[in-house]
Amino acid sequence: MGQVLVFGLISGGIYGLFALGVVMVFRGTGVLSFAQGEIGTAALYVAAYLINDQGLPWVVGALGALVFGIGVGVLFELLVVRRMIGADPVSTAVATVGLLLLITTIEIQYAGSTLISVRGPISQHFAVFGVEVTGTQVLGVLLALALGFGLQSLLRRTDFGLGILAAAQDPTAVRLVGVPLSRVSATVWGAGAALSVIAALLVEPGIGVFAPGFASQLYLVGLAAAVIGGLTSLPGAVIGGLALGLVEAAANKWFGQSGVHGLRYVVVLIVLLVVLVGRQLLPELRARFDTRAEAVA
Amino acid sequence: MSTPLLQILDVTAGFGATTVLHGVSIDVPEGSIAGIFGLNGAGKSVTLKTVAGVVPARSGQVLLDGEDITRWGPEKRVARGMGHIPQGRQVFPELTVEENLRLGAYTLRRRDRSRYAASLDAVYDRFPVLRERRSQLAGTMSGGQQASLCVGRALINQPRLVLVDEPSAGLSPVAALELREVLRDVAATGVTMVLVEQNIAFGLSLVDTAHLMQTGTVVHSSPVGDLDDATLATHLGIGSVLGAATSRMLSSRATPEPPKKGKPRVRRTA
Repeated sequence: MGQVLVFGLISGGIYGLFALGVVMVFRGTGVLSFAQGEIGTAALYVAAYLINDQGLPWVVGALGALVFGIGVGVLFELLVVRRMIGADPVSTAVATVGLLLLITTIEIQYAGSTLISVRGPISQHFAVFGVEVTGTQVLGVLLALALGFGLQSLLRRTDFGLGILAAAQDPTAVRLVGVPLSRVSATVWGAGAALSVIAALLVEPGIGVFAPGFASQLYLVGLAAAVIGGLTSLPGAVIGGLALGLVEAAANKWFGQSGVHGLRYVVVLIVLLVVLVGRQLLPELRARFDTRAEAVA
Repeated sequence: MSTPLLQILDVTAGFGATTVLHGVSIDVPEGSIAGIFGLNGAGKSVTLKTVAGVVPARSGQVLLDGEDITRWGPEKRVARGMGHIPQGRQVFPELTVEENLRLGAYTLRRRDRSRYAASLDAVYDRFPVLRERRSQLAGTMSGGQQASLCVGRALINQPRLVLVDEPSAGLSPVAALELREVLRDVAATGVTMVLVEQNIAFGLSLVDTAHLMQTGTVVHSSPVGDLDDATLATHLGIGSVLGAATSRMLSSRATPEPPKKGKPRVRRTA
């Protein structure tokens, strides 16, 4: 049980970080981005180059990766998203698939199938419920919780942050109070990319190696976590991520030996279906229950 | 005569292949309330959106205090003294009343943060209910209170020109009359207003000049006192019933000028 809890929270925290990025972009611009995860992988190559090849400290490598990731996110906003203002958000979402394919292609050109690894920021081990975990893994969980529950109040402190929160509710009205929507948009695309880079940097050492497409696989789960959390709620995104992590860990423990490939996605699909169908059915069931209660009264 | 605060000069605008405005020209002198009236699809809302910068003008010019702002985005226009009271009481429902006001003062706080506290106090003095409910989420307030918040959010930035889109829409008659008094008070402080209103009687009781629109052009502009039922009936295609109601509303205005008793002609307009 302890093992399920620890493994579940560790991977759930990472899903939560990815999901936070999904929610930031969706709240700020109403677009579901499919490319952010892969920005995380590309940034890992930058980190690997700086840390492994150039021998620079981890912090420098991570900062380089972060700057690179934010740069790609903001550049995509400037070159593509901004030109699609007024277009259907679905079209912009399709454009992010284009970016995903572009980044993956460049990664394959650059690294091919070579497996690369980047070390984590904290390599000390702890035993939690009898499970060995690294400081990096604990950091991932703590960061997801802190951002999930603290980011919103942090945003409320500044006028611009308030503008980001309001933009999700009504983008035109935000422009009409004088908040530059283009800057809101650039900021959330940069922030979404940054969250993916952080998640990728924290998850990779626990897995050991990465290759093209690496972070996208985890980002897909983050996307599902964001949907489970309601797509606009930052705490909801992290809770969704942790829930998926825990269910996945439980499934691994009990069905891991069954040899099902892609168990992670099967689990995600089932949880997602249960949540979405439940959300549809719940009001109906409640209404039926209420009318019955009224009839009794 | 001094330059009008707002000049709309021969503006055309539209969406995609559709042109909605075909050369609209309206002058709004400083300190006055201009009303734009017309049937659905006449282009009055698009005119307001073009002034706001939300819909780009394809040709023509929009001048604010003599300066050409045609190519400016909405944010820059707000920074230069344009305020908005949008249709349907578009408050930010998930922000508190005070956060809504703080966001309304976005450009004021960037220009001169020290003026914000006084401006916030002035809004709270005008709408005591907002002070009482400062920490409440805006979306949980009543329609009338949200309308007050919308006006407060526009005023807190100390605008020179306020664009008011369908103020009476969706409000109870009592709340609409309260809002009319508030808008009159605001206008009395020297703030210039442009108002678009479907409810002709409500709108005419508030404005100084009326601009009647049909299929994307202004077909009649005059001081509201010079409007008669026949003109309204001709250009807005409404009959004598509403015309009579309008006359009564006009005669209840502070301006003593009696409305001309024109014989209403009911004529279908295209």
